[in-house]
Amino acid sequence: MSSSLAVPAFGSVDARPYAWPFDGQWSADDSALLLLGLQQCAVDALQAREAVLAARQLLLLAHQCGMAIIAARREAVEETLHEATGLATSELPVKPAAWQWARDIALPDDAMIVTHAGDNAFYRTGLEAALRAAGIRNLLIAGLPTDGLVHATQRAANDMGFECLAIADACAGTTPARHDAQLRITTFGNGLFGGVADLAAVRAALNPP
Amino acid sequence: MSIGSQPQFWPTGQAFNPHHTALVIIDMQVDFCAPGGWVDQLGEDVANTRAVIAPIQDALADARAAGMVVVHTREGHRPDLSDLPANKQWRTRAHGLGIGDMGAAGRILVQGEPGWQIIPELTPLPGEIVIDKPGKSSFHATDIEDRLRALSVDRLVVTGVTSDCCVQSTIRDGFERGFECVLLADCTAAVETENHLATLDILSAFGGRWGRVADRAAFKAMVSAHV
Repeated sequence: MSSSLAVPAFGSVDARPYAWPFDGQWSADDSALLLLGLQQCAVDALQAREAVLAARQLLLLAHQCGMAIIAARREAVEETLHEATGLATSELPVKPAAWQWARDIALPDDAMIVTHAGDNAFYRTGLEAALRAAGIRNLLIAGLPTDGLVHATQRAANDMGFECLAIADACAGTTPARHDAQLRITTFGNGLFGGVADLAAVRAALNPP
Repeated sequence: MSIGSQPQFWPTGQAFNPHHTALVIIDMQVDFCAPGGWVDQLGEDVANTRAVIAPIQDALADARAAGMVVVHTREGHRPDLSDLPANKQWRTRAHGLGIGDMGAAGRILVQGEPGWQIIPELTPLPGEIVIDKPGKSSFHATDIEDRLRALSVDRLVVTGVTSDCCVQSTIRDGFERGFECVLLADCTAAVETENHLATLDILSAFGGRWGRVADRAAFKAMVSAHV
């Protein structure tokens, strides 16, 4: 953990639909970066290198500011799911060989690793208890795909009361249209599921004048 | 029994057993879809959410006749608001009238208040399951999963409001827990049509990854074939 900046509190993020977080209260003590599905297979399938490079910058920034880093990955269980449900898997298989973290992502040694079977990184993983024990109440969220792991996990976190911010350019959807639509739904109703911002806005908030 | 290019009602194609299948009706409450309720008081148009009342009544009649399990959900919070996250209350108060505040139909989305009640057109019958939920997902902080499992229900036909919010959350969480979910497109709606259509696209993606999107006619055909 690097706390050389010794920033006691971060500035509000210029986010949609409101300046995030809602109460203006966030610091390295109560905020974490949650990276979802940044696995090479997903990067390849979604052609999402641009988003991963943004996520890498976000990771470096958050780590430099002393935030807790959580990285969640989906287990290679799609084949099993297919056998159990008969659902089409053409777009889905997560093959063990491609299960590793994206080549562009280097996690810090103290990152918390979460492995989950479906889309929601909270489901049967102990993530909620770990966040509560660490005093985390604010979550920066990035990863792949926007309309899959990212949104499923953000919805769950939001129901739990965590204040969530999706970093739009550090996420990529299964299509650009679904990416845009899912983020629009996120911000509907003054932020039904939290806020949405770009990496540049987060960077600006973490370096207040 | 087919809709569009979809060959069958259930993604897995197995036989329909009404006793192991639930019709889930999400949040058809005065506050969301009746004149004088919360959404109406905010000046939003409830035409979209009201338009699905009659279709849901029709699907409900079919489900009851077939002996299906029926589940109604109500979004709401305890009177002391101890189950209301601070950010959820703050976001709704930005509209001028937030959860827990006193409105024309009682305190907004508070259990026991007039606005929190299920609309009279869809009143639950004795013996039907009613789930009180504090979140968007019907599975968050409720006993719905235990109650469905106790009845050996593993398939959900999902209806109600709003499609982009509580309906999408419930279907995603149902999928996560291994329930096979089918959304009836003409029995769900959102306040904004654009978000509604995007939700249907996302939920029907990947050959039914999260569930299938069908409609009331396909549901009726499937049920009547087994009565």
